[in-house]
Amino acid sequence: MKNQLRYILAVITLGTLSYSCMEDLPTEYEFTGYEFVELDVDAGEWNLVLFTNNEQVAIPQPAAVGSPALNQELADAKSKIQNASAAQKEAVEYWTNNPLLRWNEIALELATKYNLIPAPNPDGTYPAPDPTKPDQYPLFPYSHPPYTSRMLAYLSVAQYDGLIMAWHYKEKYGRPAPYELDAQIKSAYSENGLKSYPSDGAVVAITSRDILTAMFPLEKEYLAKMAEEHLESLVIAGINVSSDVEAGKLIGTEVSKKALARAATDGMRNAQTNKVKSDSIKNAAIARFGWYWENQETPQRPVGLTPLFGRVKMWNVPTVEEVRPGPPPAPGSPQFNEDAEELKRYAKNMTAKERSIANFWNDGLNTYTPPGHWNRFAKETVVKYRLSPVRTARIFAYMNMAIVDAGISCWDAKYYYHYPRPIQTIPGFKTILGTPNFPAYTSGHSTFSSAAAEVLSHFFPLEATQFRKWAEEAAMSRIYGGIHYRFDAEVGLEQGKAVGAYSVAKAKLDQVD
Amino acid sequence: MNLKSRFLGLFLASWGILQLSTAQTPLDGLMMKKGEICVAVVYEDARWDQYWEGTYLRTNANVGTFSRKSIMPMIVGGISDKVNIIVSLPYVKTSATGGQLAGVEGIQDFSISLKAQLVDQTLGKGKLMVFSNLSFSTPASNYLSDYLPFSLGFGANELGLRAIGQYELEKGPYLRASASYLHRGTTEAERDFYYQDDAFYTFTMDVPDAVHGQVALGSWFLEKRLRVEASLTALRCASGDDIRIYNSPQPTNKVDFDRVEGFAQYYFKNVKGLGVLGYYNHMFSGRNMGQFSGYGLGLTYQFNAF
Repeated sequence: MKNQLRYILAVITLGTLSYSCMEDLPTEYEFTGYEFVELDVDAGEWNLVLFTNNEQVAIPQPAAVGSPALNQELADAKSKIQNASAAQKEAVEYWTNNPLLRWNEIALELATKYNLIPAPNPDGTYPAPDPTKPDQYPLFPYSHPPYTSRMLAYLSVAQYDGLIMAWHYKEKYGRPAPYELDAQIKSAYSENGLKSYPSDGAVVAITSRDILTAMFPLEKEYLAKMAEEHLESLVIAGINVSSDVEAGKLIGTEVSKKALARAATDGMRNAQTNKVKSDSIKNAAIARFGWYWENQETPQRPVGLTPLFGRVKMWNVPTVEEVRPGPPPAPGSPQFNEDAEELKRYAKNMTAKERSIANFWNDGLNTYTPPGHWNRFAKETVVKYRLSPVRTARIFAYMNMAIVDAGISCWDAKYYYHYPRPIQTIPGFKTILGTPNFPAYTSGHSTFSSAAAEVLSHFFPLEATQFRKWAEEAAMSRIYGGIHYRFDAEVGLEQGKAVGAYSVAKAKLDQVD
Repeated sequence: MNLKSRFLGLFLASWGILQLSTAQTPLDGLMMKKGEICVAVVYEDARWDQYWEGTYLRTNANVGTFSRKSIMPMIVGGISDKVNIIVSLPYVKTSATGGQLAGVEGIQDFSISLKAQLVDQTLGKGKLMVFSNLSFSTPASNYLSDYLPFSLGFGANELGLRAIGQYELEKGPYLRASASYLHRGTTEAERDFYYQDDAFYTFTMDVPDAVHGQVALGSWFLEKRLRVEASLTALRCASGDDIRIYNSPQPTNKVDFDRVEGFAQYYFKNVKGLGVLGYYNHMFSGRNMGQFSGYGLGLTYQFNAF
């Protein structure tokens, strides 16, 4: 019986050991407010993206230090701080003094939530999301990589222009923060002396809320609630009084309008075509090259994903044609055969390392997509380098403009060349990743990643080797996964790099990096 | 940027499919005497052509018919008349007739379990038996659990505690009921971001715990050489999310099912210790899993080792 007990104990111990390390799994990036490496006090003079003048949005002159109006606001702030609930204090910690990072994270979460491909109807046809009826299945939007890349660009550009204006006014009016005006007020974050009028946090809250509400209309209430919580936290954190917040809201509202006016006319609404248009694009490729891509699903999807995304207005590249790569090798040509053989080899003998690379970068349906993956890298690097909000916005804006430009360029190539996927050209070919619903050449992962890496390498030269290595790994992951030929990936990397260079050239005009 | 529908399917609760109906399983009402060993090999072939997305039963032409074949060697040993040890190690192969996603094959989970008989007493015209079973299983290869429906298993450790009661008449008929709690650990994906009603920034996925219940009605015939049994099995996960519309399943899903099964086992008269078994089962309701129907065939050989 003793022996039997020992066996039982062994099993219990083994089991317990394997469960004892369970913990809460992270649903956000774990960082707290931090001391900025510099305040970037001259950022108000940096070049704007949507605007031409840093006073294009007017805000009222703030009440002077010592005035009854400001003293009343300070008294109100103190009362709010004293009466703050546990939830409000938690909110101060959550939003941090660089809340753009939280809003970017919220954007990625929504991108993930809405990244589901429509299911077929019982009769074999496919429904499409309708922006005028967003709550009808399939929900609007379907936030695929082109959609998400464009969404992130508008979000980041609006935040950036808004913060440049905020920094300009902060210097112009020079109003000290509440914790400098009243000894009883303490900042919840590092006391860095950043001027408080207008509130940069409020600019970020409102631009983020407004852009994201336009991009994810069904999330209107959730976003409003988050913005309310964020705005409230600014006063409770001791870094703003209510007039700071109100002025920030003014800027946020106007900047968002300008950004959304551009979005309304950038060509995205025509990107998803009907079958007639889609067939004409395919026939043009057949006439030019003799080959064509076709969806391989059952039932077959009649139209690929956003055939005219390549016509969407670019941010920093004058015309899409100037970054269009040359043609791919024809199916059946020696170079094609060589690259197709490589795919067959990987499918047959995949190493554990190759499999994990394919899966790590898959970023497919129900994820934040490759643009989201690079935003995550940017976020983590910003915290590592302890950048100020306006410098953070700068990096996200130039990176996300490059990413969406890369997507536009990539989609231009995809539908211009209309090149078939490996599952179409290699008989009986099976893959470990699902093949997306658009042509192969060039690889979106490669193009997005290379453009992002190019911009991030400019801002973080010490990390450049790592960023470029990641981009190459993202490109290779699609070859391991069996959904891209090597030439799709290699040309995509070049193309992304070329697109990213336009964004870097524009950033360099400020001479501040 | 895998924008295509990755083909959907089903979460195979490995033990759900592979929990053998063979003699001396963690679930049945049989015990080996001290020093007896039973070696078994069971082949199983299970298929589905519809799966439950949440509770909605759908077909997906990009999966077509999903197939899962396995071969499972198992050893049961009598440590004493009242305590048995059971180990098993299945080899599993999955594939689909539709779509272009590659199936996988390999060694699945190693399982070890101890079964103890707590009660064995005469009651009326029969006898009442109560057993308890403690089991542990762990992935025995580096298979990827986050590749559903093709994954070989859920990729997590599992600790199970069961209670089994059986009332058996001298003439042969018996009624058995069992209930189990299955505590699962976590599994590691090859991506460090996924969605489970919220964004998760980690490679680690939480595999939900489950409760499992079974009621079986059976009888012995031919001087206890033939056993025939019909059973009803239910599994319910204690937590977990639903498969999102037309999306792939993932190990975090709440997997439930109800299944009926017919089972028979025969011990040969002429060859001492040799037996065969066969079964067929079918799921009639479920959640976040394929509607499996399958059969199993096995050989058992029982001998005195010490």
